[in-house]
Amino acid sequence: MKKISRRDFLRTSILAGGAAALAACAPAVATATSAPAATATTAAAVATATKAATAVSAATATTAVSAATATAAAPAANLGFTIAPGAENPFKLATTNVDGVFFAGGYGDDYIKNAASMMEKAYPGMKVGVQSGQRIGDILRPRFVGGNPPDVIDNSGAGNLDMAALVADGQVADLADLMKAPSLDTPGKTVAQSLIAGSQDDQLYNGKQLAINFVFTGYGICYSKAMFAKNSWKYPATWEEMITFCDQLKKDGKIAPWTHQAKYPYYIQNMVLFPLIYSAGGNDLLVKIDNLEPNVWKDPAVLRAVENYYMLYDKGWLLEGTAGLDHTGSQAEFYKGKAAFIPCGGWLENEMKTILPADFETTMAICPPFKDGKGDPKAAQTGGGEPFIVPTKAKNVKHGMEYLRFLMSKAEAKYFAENVLSISAVQGGLEGAKASTFMKAQVEMANTAAGSVIIQHIGTWYTAMWTEMEVQTTNLLTGKIKPPEFCDALQKAADKTAKDPDIKKYKRDK
Amino acid sequence: MKYGQNRFIIGFLAIPLLLYFVFVILPFGSSMLIAFTRWRGVSPDITFTGLSNLNKLLGDDLFWAALTHNFEVLVPLVLITLCMALFFGALFARGLRGQGFFRVTFFFPQVLSAAVVAVLFGYVYHPTIGILSSLLGALGFKSLAAFPWLGDTGTVLPAVIFVAIWQAVGFYMVLFIASMQSIPTEYYEAAKLDGANEWAIFWRITLPLMRDTLRTAIVFLMIGAMDMFVYISILTNETGGPGRAAEVLSSYLYGEAFRRQNFGYATMLAVVLMIIVLALSMIGLRAGSQESLEY
Repeated sequence: MKKISRRDFLRTSILAGGAAALAACAPAVATATSAPAATATTAAAVATATKAATAVSAATATTAVSAATATAAAPAANLGFTIAPGAENPFKLATTNVDGVFFAGGYGDDYIKNAASMMEKAYPGMKVGVQSGQRIGDILRPRFVGGNPPDVIDNSGAGNLDMAALVADGQVADLADLMKAPSLDTPGKTVAQSLIAGSQDDQLYNGKQLAINFVFTGYGICYSKAMFAKNSWKYPATWEEMITFCDQLKKDGKIAPWTHQAKYPYYIQNMVLFPLIYSAGGNDLLVKIDNLEPNVWKDPAVLRAVENYYMLYDKGWLLEGTAGLDHTGSQAEFYKGKAAFIPCGGWLENEMKTILPADFETTMAICPPFKDGKGDPKAAQTGGGEPFIVPTKAKNVKHGMEYLRFLMSKAEAKYFAENVLSISAVQGGLEGAKASTFMKAQVEMANTAAGSVIIQHIGTWYTAMWTEMEVQTTNLLTGKIKPPEFCDALQKAADKTAKDPDIKKYKRDK
Repeated sequence: MKYGQNRFIIGFLAIPLLLYFVFVILPFGSSMLIAFTRWRGVSPDITFTGLSNLNKLLGDDLFWAALTHNFEVLVPLVLITLCMALFFGALFARGLRGQGFFRVTFFFPQVLSAAVVAVLFGYVYHPTIGILSSLLGALGFKSLAAFPWLGDTGTVLPAVIFVAIWQAVGFYMVLFIASMQSIPTEYYEAAKLDGANEWAIFWRITLPLMRDTLRTAIVFLMIGAMDMFVYISILTNETGGPGRAAEVLSSYLYGEAFRRQNFGYATMLAVVLMIIVLALSMIGLRAGSQESLEY
């Protein structure tokens, strides 16, 4: 390491304590890098820089330096990733211990630890605590009630905390500052601009970005590309073709056309019913449904969608016994080749990797739209998974956001693609990474859709109504009720939600 | 002397009493308060809402549906378990060959945790790899070869009740055998001398003399029927079954509290459940109460 003069060091320290923009300029970075060698007090660059800055300021009576902030100024070569110029420390963070609680489910928690270690490398002296597990609601509930929530949370999986409840209670910080901050390693772009369009929309609450989806995922209809090629089948381009195709499969009797995760009806509900509603009535209809407008469920377009949804049961397309299967059960049947289609999201291959047949070539496509549909026929359901939040009452709100900035980086995206075989919501995250057919299919879906996203918010805004919808989906797809009764029940649920003073309401315009 | 003795007793009781107070009495008391609040369980902010939770509960279709399911569990659980336990108890209290083996075997399910039993039966009822469907399929019932026992609104509750009965019978059988064997043989000998047949002996002597045990068993089973939480939550993946067809009060209140974060309302449900259980227990204990028997 090269020696540094006392004056250089002083200048660096002043810059560090002062404006982040200045501190980030190249010479400053270079000099701060060698600070430990010069001062030889501790190996932690940031800690030294801060301490030294304070010491110097005391000596020279420069008060501007005493602010306990430091730059993320570590040598680029040692990091293993690059930080875009001007993106070193936008929040002007002090060194402290960051405390994160994360859901470790289908994606594991190695990627979470990877982002944590990236942050630790960039901020020497900073410790990012990673506590991960399942049913994280049980871990978090006492901490929220006790008023000492962690700095950052991955609130997903079964047994997570109800987002609507957290939001209604004002427990979730607005991530606007994070979205405006420069992206860690996409030069010249903010975090918001660096993310795949449409990947964050489902985390808007009255227009505020309250959570950030780490994972980009397509949601759609999964099938085996190899099986389709072998039988010279073609994926139906319209719902009408889907009907013909499924009827034919049913007639041949070799394979059931469909199965689904019946014990958790939200899969089929989200990935078949909502696209059909969108296709039949266009985006306006979905907006009206989210806004709980009176009589929206009685709209003829909704009824048309529900009638076609009902065909799954009525025409006998569902694999026998489907109603008793849970997610892994039905997905296992799918991979055994018992059913041609299953609705699922981008985690499917990873979740089933222990039984994944080698030559199956899972792929994903949009739920085919009606031939005369009003919605954009290319529109896809793309969005995010693994919502990360920062609690308002966290000790280090800004540190929590900074962790998310590292998480939403290209370097992390590459790690995620290669190690977890899934796609992060960062643009170009698959660049230079090996990607499966399934992953490419999802990115392709997003690219084809070009921003036309089919989205619904009932699942995140109105949990009780969503539960009711799941119940009615089960009733419909086991033949207990008919489509008009489904619509009546949902209208009743919507009205009940709209009237309940205990439920916080949300609106969207588009 | 006396003083020292008191100190001795207090010394032993202090810690258990303190623990009991902190972990039982205190939560009980706070539940009574939380039941009248709106609390989402994610912050220390609690709003008192008076009787609004109670009003909501009385007008809540889901509450009444869940309560109805509880009673749909109660009737078969109590009747079938008692009948079977009495039958096997009478059978294995007579000195049959190999009865020791049967007693142990029948008691076995009780040794397993209810959660384990529920998980195992989840596989039994599995539509594609479950033993029940395969068995029925092999016997030629084509339409039942892949039947979703836990995925059908009509069969989910009976399927769950069966598991509960399967686990309970052995326990009550052992209870009844103990009770039967404590009846002095003189009564039986006298009855036989009088020419009573087995049937008459069972109804006129055995059963009346077991009254205390039976009453206890009924109260236990009724409380069990009001609970059912472990079986329902595991066998229906915490969803209360397809179309909520197996939602009982305990699973409903769990969902309200831990999935929808309505802790205030859920606590009100818990308080109401407690009142119902207390009422049932009192009815059960009063119904059969006479002077206790002495042999």
